[in-house]
Amino acid sequence: MTAENEANVCIPEERGHLVLEHLQSTLNRAYRNVAFHRQRLDARQIDPADIQSLDDVPRLPFLTRKHLSENYPYDLFAVPLRDIVRIHTAPGTASNPTVSGYTRQDIVIWETMVATALENAGVGPEDILQISLDPGLANWGRDYKSGAEALGASVIPNTLLSIEKQLMVMRDYRPTVLVTTPSYARQVAMKIERDTLPLDDFRLKTLILTGEPADRDLRRFLDQALNVQCWQHYGLSEIPGPALAYECGNHSCLHVNDEHFFPEIIDPQSGASLPAGESGELVLTTLTTRAYPLIRFRTGDRARIVTEPCSCDCRLARIEWLTERTDRLVCIRGVKVHQQQVMTAVENALGFKPQDSCLFESRYEDKTFLEIWIAVEDASFSDEIKMLELRMKTIRDRIQESTGVPVIVRLKERATVAAGPPATEP
Amino acid sequence: MLKILNLQAGYGNLKVLKNVSMHVARGEIVTIIGANGAGKTTLLSTIAGLLKATAGEIRFEDRNIAALAAQKIPALGCVLVPEGRQIFADLSVEENLILGGHVLRRNGRRELARQLDHQYALFPILNERRHQFAGTLSGGEQQMLAMGRALMSKPSLIMMDEPSTGLAPLIVQDIFNVIVRMRDEGKTVLLVEQNAKAALQVADRGYVLETGKVVLQGRARELLEDVEVKRAYLGKDYGDFYDGRE
Repeated sequence: MTAENEANVCIPEERGHLVLEHLQSTLNRAYRNVAFHRQRLDARQIDPADIQSLDDVPRLPFLTRKHLSENYPYDLFAVPLRDIVRIHTAPGTASNPTVSGYTRQDIVIWETMVATALENAGVGPEDILQISLDPGLANWGRDYKSGAEALGASVIPNTLLSIEKQLMVMRDYRPTVLVTTPSYARQVAMKIERDTLPLDDFRLKTLILTGEPADRDLRRFLDQALNVQCWQHYGLSEIPGPALAYECGNHSCLHVNDEHFFPEIIDPQSGASLPAGESGELVLTTLTTRAYPLIRFRTGDRARIVTEPCSCDCRLARIEWLTERTDRLVCIRGVKVHQQQVMTAVENALGFKPQDSCLFESRYEDKTFLEIWIAVEDASFSDEIKMLELRMKTIRDRIQESTGVPVIVRLKERATVAAGPPATEP
Repeated sequence: MLKILNLQAGYGNLKVLKNVSMHVARGEIVTIIGANGAGKTTLLSTIAGLLKATAGEIRFEDRNIAALAAQKIPALGCVLVPEGRQIFADLSVEENLILGGHVLRRNGRRELARQLDHQYALFPILNERRHQFAGTLSGGEQQMLAMGRALMSKPSLIMMDEPSTGLAPLIVQDIFNVIVRMRDEGKTVLLVEQNAKAALQVADRGYVLETGKVVLQGRARELLEDVEVKRAYLGKDYGDFYDGRE
């Protein structure tokens, strides 16, 4: 029997009761310990006791990335600092980075969740797992390392290396599993193809794709080019956790770990809950997180709830993660970047606000970049090439430092900037 | 076996339980821990029908018992061992036990005798004292008698309210050993305790109740290691919550 809540997440009734128990205690703790959550509920005259079923969840206010930034660094922590054993910093999408804390139990839960997701992809003690993620996703690198180690796999931790060195490790250390973003996996596959490296030199059999959704064509390309099976994982850099939803052997949809997260789909414009099956913005509420509870966090990711039961034994709620976003963030190699965040860095480096600018994802020699175009104007122009280059380099370095992704900055004519980025090849 | 949904209860205008949801699965020992006044006893009294719920559901074996009269609930297999034992001091140990087995009357004397033998096997000290007035027993023996009396009706769920109150540590250990044995014999136990450490050491899962609300739940061994539970157990609170932040 299935109980459908207003947000139409299909969670079997038995587990629905467990979800409600965890949701209620999370609300009670957040209300008691976090002034931000308490004030917002009080302002709406909502008592945590008013949430009596999963149908009541849409009454709760949303949490956005802006709130995470405004409460920098510790104001959303729901436990005293002495209970925190790890503090993570993610790039964030506003002026402040996002800081999240973990209790010892939170870390154990994440480790178990990542291990479960990897185990579902067939990863075990006989595997060697190589992690290759950009600095902006460094936290996930640590989580994957812990999860894989918990399974007894040998781990080559995340290290910033050139693609040539990564390929050397991939060939000589003989990893069987690669954890990376679809963008980087594509870059690796193209490099192998271009340099006609023999696939027999590699032992890779499993590719864990995380950070951004890979479309069907890319997956097919990666499957063939690397002779692997792809497994998509979904995570949030804010919590942060890389594998809160994962694919089973059917590779059709993602199973959401609904023991720890309650998923909803909303209309990104109105905020109203959408019926099951409709595509909208994925909203997540943590159910077991102690240090950093998120209540109705708007992910900006587009997804739809899948109601049909999976043919595998797993009965966790399922989602299909779609490639477009519902917000104005640009997702570069798994790292989310906000226009405002970039423009603040540009403004700081130039000393004034440029009249026109745009940012987009670009690809050069198979590598994905965050590309920023700034309109040339008198204030930014200099007849000294050196001076111009220095300015561009300063902007690039600052944005690279704050986002953790490779950046290209170009000066363009105003009309070109206004026309927007060129169409990218598929 | 027991599923509680949004339970509210109190005394007059005083709302003690504010939306409590929890469950107990068959064969589990589940403990509810919390400070004085958190609502632990109120919760058990409401499940046992001694106090009427003002809202919410209490489903025992898929039947809503929230509106049932207290005397009808033990016959369904749900019994309460109240705090302070509440045995009949002027009756003998055996008479107390027989009173506990009154729901077995229909099953005949043989069943009653079988249950008496079972309690004497579980609590050998009661066998030794079977003809003694219950009022002459020590605190620990009285607790065992209260448990034995509850078990006489062959309940599937036994709820215990502060069984360790006023007992010496060694006796407390005996009582908790019996609770584990009851679980091993197929009973389900809902245990309310102020002695959080002892309760969590024997329980499978636990709930932390605070001012009538569940603020935490989980596997007992995890709660035992939980710094927040440890702090509450040691009597510290969140008065210094912002320490280290500013």
